[in-house]
Amino acid sequence: MSQSLRPYLTAVRYSLEAALTLSNFSSQEVERHNRPEVEVSNSSAELLLQPMHISRNENEQVLIETSVNSIRVNIMVKQSDEIEQILVHKFTRFLEQRAEAFYILRRTPIKGYSISFLITNKHTESMKTDKLVDFIIEFMEEVDKEISEMKLFLNARARFVAEAYLGEFVY
Amino acid sequence: MLHLQPHNLLIQKTLTEAIEAVNNGTPLTLDRIVSDFDYTTFHISNSDEEKSTLLLSVKTKAWASVVNCGDLLSYLQSSFTKFNGIEIPSNFENGYNYTLALDLKQLDQESVVQASLLKTMIMSFPFNLSFEEFNKLSSQPAPTTEYELNNINNNAPVFKIEYRDDENIFIKPSFDRITVIFETIFQDETDKILGKVFLQEFVDARKRNRGIQSAPQVLFSHEPPLELRNLSEYSNYTDISSSKRFITFVLFPRHFANDELKFKSVVQLTLFRSYFHYHIKCSKAYLHSRMRYRVDTFVKVLNRAKVDEEEDSKDADSEQHVRRTITGRKVVY
Amino acid sequence: MSYLNNPAIVMDNGTGLTKLGFAGNDSPSWIFPTAIATSQNHTKKTSSMSSTSNTTSSNQYFGNSTSATSFNSLNASMPLSNNLAGKRGTEDLDFYIGNEALAAAQGPSYSLSYPIRHGQIENWDHMERFWENSIFKYLRTEPEDHFFLLTEPPLNPPENREQVAEIFFESFNCAGLYIAVQAVLALAASWTSSKVTDRSLTGTVIDSGDGVTHVIPVAEGYVIGSAIKNIPIAGRDITLFIQSLLRERGETDTSLRTAERIKQEYCYVCPDIVKEFNKFDRNPDKFAQFIVENQEKTQKKIVDVGYERFLAPEIFFNPEIASSDFLTPLPTIVDHTIQACPIDVRKGLYNNIVLSGGSTMFKDFGRRLQRDIKSIVNNRIAQSELLSGTKSTGVDVNVITHRKQRNAVWFGGSLLAQTAEFKSYCHTKKDYEEYGPEIVRNFSLFNMV
Repeated sequence: MSQSLRPYLTAVRYSLEAALTLSNFSSQEVERHNRPEVEVSNSSAELLLQPMHISRNENEQVLIETSVNSIRVNIMVKQSDEIEQILVHKFTRFLEQRAEAFYILRRTPIKGYSISFLITNKHTESMKTDKLVDFIIEFMEEVDKEISEMKLFLNARARFVAEAYLGEFVY
Repeated sequence: MLHLQPHNLLIQKTLTEAIEAVNNGTPLTLDRIVSDFDYTTFHISNSDEEKSTLLLSVKTKAWASVVNCGDLLSYLQSSFTKFNGIEIPSNFENGYNYTLALDLKQLDQESVVQASLLKTMIMSFPFNLSFEEFNKLSSQPAPTTEYELNNINNNAPVFKIEYRDDENIFIKPSFDRITVIFETIFQDETDKILGKVFLQEFVDARKRNRGIQSAPQVLFSHEPPLELRNLSEYSNYTDISSSKRFITFVLFPRHFANDELKFKSVVQLTLFRSYFHYHIKCSKAYLHSRMRYRVDTFVKVLNRAKVDEEEDSKDADSEQHVRRTITGRKVVY
Repeated sequence: MSYLNNPAIVMDNGTGLTKLGFAGNDSPSWIFPTAIATSQNHTKKTSSMSSTSNTTSSNQYFGNSTSATSFNSLNASMPLSNNLAGKRGTEDLDFYIGNEALAAAQGPSYSLSYPIRHGQIENWDHMERFWENSIFKYLRTEPEDHFFLLTEPPLNPPENREQVAEIFFESFNCAGLYIAVQAVLALAASWTSSKVTDRSLTGTVIDSGDGVTHVIPVAEGYVIGSAIKNIPIAGRDITLFIQSLLRERGETDTSLRTAERIKQEYCYVCPDIVKEFNKFDRNPDKFAQFIVENQEKTQKKIVDVGYERFLAPEIFFNPEIASSDFLTPLPTIVDHTIQACPIDVRKGLYNNIVLSGGSTMFKDFGRRLQRDIKSIVNNRIAQSELLSGTKSTGVDVNVITHRKQRNAVWFGGSLLAQTAEFKSYCHTKKDYEEYGPEIVRNFSLFNMV
């Protein structure tokens, strides 16, 4: 693990722990509605808290938007070239396609980020907060690892395929 | 499966079954469509006159351009009629480019294989022409000056196979080599990027791996290689922004020293695009299975966060505040 | 856009058998088990690099299968090595499908699995590779140039459709995709029968394969999901029943394969068991003999075929002769199914009962079924006439048998996919990229009138 990754993840962890203090809060505008206030930001500014922006470098950032009953965690996954770009895009799309199983995954990311999670008070009531934070941290670690492994695989496979093809010309 | 085979498995299977049926005295009635890579469709049907004769017709995109290269019909005739049971009818089936008449009573294993290579044989024609052209050029004294070299290169014919929309194969013989150039274009954005990785490896493979040093040299470029600059369509090709790429294979005499090698090289080259796209697809499929595995592990981690309800109720039970009725309902006070 | 001229590809992946082929053909080009053999040990096997382009490969796996668990031809030898064993990082290319898989699994280095269970895809990794090999090896097509028609069982969850679309559009870049419900295709296949006059998509489909028999009511192209009924009696049970009869009699060969061959070649449905028993006793010609040859055709065993000729298919109509836990005869189930449907479609459902699948191929199966259902319906009508005192207009019961019954689902797909409009019903790659996988939740229905 590189030098700056640990502090980056620690910062995300503490920020998330701080942000995940959610309470049940009914909508102020629509009767008998209970909606995640981060998702309906415009109308009630007093319910939104200061968003936290943690940045490791220009390619790896986390934006935690907070509100009284929900938070949104937006993660920008490292994409240093077009292969990683396409792999990240494919991978996040694949996950979002299965968002049902992930409870807290948002089906579309916020603009500018690779993937977004939406955690509401419903989730913190049915799940342990520290384990949720663990999940997001592990997710961030694993995604980077997975993307670079996929890239390695792709290069290895391309090499193998090319050599196998050209090998047919060797007599 | 690593390599694609040059012969069409389905034609082989259908013919083998038909032969078996004729030998058993119950000839099959066939009217089948079979397909192959690069817009190729075969049609296997019974001949009108003779129940034990099958017609194998082919329609392929490459046909029009291959016919332009030279006398394709007599080439095909001479390559097929030497096998048992294969005849060339005087009329080809309507709507198809070429037809073989197969006499099921005489057809043997070898002929079946040959018939299933029909598409490869059509594609191989321009390659064979360039082998001949190479022999002609190489028998002349080797050029000594720049001028003579240019002269040869400018005068040698370029054979073009239009085998797909917007994708062509160019074959240019010279006195010491034959250059085969593939145009390639990707419909899909992902493929374009994955394709780039693959193509780069094709270029580098020969440099890196000592074992395949004697394979043809592979070059990759965004603009048409010099060999194509003389062609009208590329004389002032400026559209570099297009997604068209050029892959050049340089064949040296050792790659076509005898008939067997010629055939092997041609087979490999005609399958290049399919092979290449097949493997891009395989890698995507493999990435999918990796991602499926990842999804599973992530879900497992997330489920650890879930508060276990069973456990929860047990904890609650032990406390004094919750009691259960005889039907199991909780009484909370 | 020259792919418009390419034939569409029709793939029917069933629990036991997969049928692959091109639209417009009258039968599938390939029929083989939906099985995949994946390598499980990479160090054990040392493959010899056979560099010759082995064109005269053995053809033991060419024949069309009729069983999901055994090959057609008796001489099974290992398929050609694909030179991949032992190479790291390429394990995902080292596998076989279909008959080759069955052959490969006999060796030590491959393990066999069936990616489809109960009609639904269970193992997507295997299925994706199964398709990959089907397309590139067996059908030899570039999926970018072809439209695909796939089939799904009734009540397939839409998420499964999305996963299929994800594979076909993202991995294979196929030009266009249509996913049809198997029962609807089976109805369309029955249009070739001379008994069918109006080409409606209303009817009851009895689909009996190897593992399970479904009775599926379809009204105007839509499956009435709540009324579907399953019967745990199908091809395999008949084979096992024949085997048990052979064993009881102590025949010289009582293997499953022999039982299966007897089922396919000798069995038929009789109108009345008691009369049939008498017929057999009076007329010994009815007894047949089946000759089993071993692999090298040197030894011959003679197996007598007796009452099982008509008793075996009889378990559809009198299940108690074979099983003790399922006792409702097929005609009663069909009647129950139709009675569970909305009243306004019931007439159409009785009118058009369509058979599909290999286990409905017994001689006179349709005729017996029609007679039995008719008597159930007529009894009910008589009773209601008695009770209400009014005259009923009557209900027509029609069981349709046709020549394409064995691969009815595939054939129906082939019929639909060869029409000019087919491509306009498909979702194309462009649509997929614009709307995402959820686009395949809906397909417009065929109107072929």
